[in-house]
Amino acid sequence: MINSNTNINSFLYRYSPVILLFISILNEIDFNNLEFRYFSFNFAYILIFYYSLKRENGIGYIFIFFAGLFNDVVNGTPMGISSLCYLLLCAAAVYLRNITLRPNLIKDWIFFLVTISILNFITFTYLILFLDYEVDYFDQIINIMFTFILYLIFLYLFKFYDNVILGRH
Amino acid sequence: MEASRDDFVIAIRSAFLRKGNQQKFSLLSLILFSILFLVLGSLNFKIIKFNKTVIKEIIYMSSFIVSVPENIVKKSFNKVSGHFEYYNDYQVTKNELEKLKNKDLTKKILTFENIELKKLIDDYFVEDSQAYAKVLTDKKSPFLRSIVINKGSKNSVKAGMIVYDGLYLIGKVVEVNFLTSRVLLISDINSKVPVTIQPLNIQAIMSGSDKRKGKLQYIQGEKLINKDNQELIVVTSGSGGIFKSGIPIGKINLAETLDNDEVIVNFYRDFSQLKYVKVSSYAKNSNDLDQSNKKTFKKNNDQIIELNNQLGDIKALQQQKIVSNEVRIKLELENKQLKIDLINTQKKLTEQNTKIENNKDKKENIKFLELNLIYGHKCTRNFFNPNLYKINTDEYRTCVFNKGPIRKTR
Repeated sequence: MINSNTNINSFLYRYSPVILLFISILNEIDFNNLEFRYFSFNFAYILIFYYSLKRENGIGYIFIFFAGLFNDVVNGTPMGISSLCYLLLCAAAVYLRNITLRPNLIKDWIFFLVTISILNFITFTYLILFLDYEVDYFDQIINIMFTFILYLIFLYLFKFYDNVILGRH
Repeated sequence: MEASRDDFVIAIRSAFLRKGNQQKFSLLSLILFSILFLVLGSLNFKIIKFNKTVIKEIIYMSSFIVSVPENIVKKSFNKVSGHFEYYNDYQVTKNELEKLKNKDLTKKILTFENIELKKLIDDYFVEDSQAYAKVLTDKKSPFLRSIVINKGSKNSVKAGMIVYDGLYLIGKVVEVNFLTSRVLLISDINSKVPVTIQPLNIQAIMSGSDKRKGKLQYIQGEKLINKDNQELIVVTSGSGGIFKSGIPIGKINLAETLDNDEVIVNFYRDFSQLKYVKVSSYAKNSNDLDQSNKKTFKKNNDQIIELNNQLGDIKALQQQKIVSNEVRIKLELENKQLKIDLINTQKKLTEQNTKIENNKDKKENIKFLELNLIYGHKCTRNFFNPNLYKINTDEYRTCVFNKGPIRKTR
């Protein structure tokens, strides 16, 4: 009994971020485009950054790569662009983890803002220059700002899930 | 300084190249793979296209499956909330039905007239092919507002086909896979639809702006102010030939437009509530029109030939008429002249007759006088011959001409 509980616990610990990532991407409710004019955020960025930064093995690069592909197909953007952004975000998080001796919330937070700004810049540049898309910059700025702000809230939620629900410290 | 640079390089190398315990690929290889995907995606090779289609089909299906629980919750919520609105809707609908019944007949006549007029100007389209599709996913992307439907090239869906919700335009097909297709909604910022604002008949281009609103470009709000404060309806204009003309899209809120300095279109349909859509393509009714056109053309041609013949005849007849008129005028003049001559001749004749009569009388008188001198005494009554006649009587004159009284014989 104890053994099976441990197995479920370790399965949830390992795969719940992956499941959450895929559900958030494949589900019709997208926080990137809610019904509100001045509110949207990128949940996938928060999830990937948090777990890549806080866990040794992260979510799994291959899962992130496929999640990006799925996101592109579902959103109708060119295949590969989201994968590239997610993996670069992952790389930035791993880099931050490697250079950090004493984790600091504010530093992580600011680093996250800089990273998502650069990633969005890459995405816009590609879409505008190569594919002639028209992008509403105001919406994107709102998206970046709320992703940045809500990182703190989700950080505590994920911590709560890992520590209290799964009992992992 | 040197040490910090080494640290940076080590950290970067570690981030990109080191595989974790449970990682099978390094980050760098996957990043390169993503870039390869992007590059290959922009090339139009058949194999790449096929692979892309397969991947898309799988992902759309999985997206549909993942969205099932959420859709059930959504449906249940809509059902419950919709239940409360039924009665009010029923009352409103009842009143509207009465009004619409009255309008229906007028509409039918106008539709018929419209079709006839469109046929005349060769702008009448008939549905070439149509398919009803279910909305699989309604994914709201920050870059593309689109839906995925469960009909693809297998069901003869082609890129560019028009998509309706009821009678209202909602978008067009931009991507076709074997079993699924992607529809770009008109609420997307990249969607450009040529529209007409009725009843002012102003042309504009509409692009998406918000989930339930569109924005008209190349037009100023002041132009839409009308004296009668009529409701402004936005329909497709048909310019460019992508959309059929006259498909309703939405209404313009004039007050909102004047406040915002932008012409805002409120869509008739809520794009977040789409469930089933109709995909249609249009073509001019070439077959029917060709047949009827040929017949009409032949008929007209025959008529034209006949009319031309008649025209030739008429021209000849007109020439003849002109000649006849000239002849008639000449004859009339001659006739007139002859009449005058006749009258003159008759006058002369009468005069001559009169003269002849006079001459006759004169001659008779002369003869009487001559005979009177000779035989007057034989006819004059006297004492001895009381049976004779008095002078200047008719009997006397007859007696003179008879050269004396006529003796009676047994």
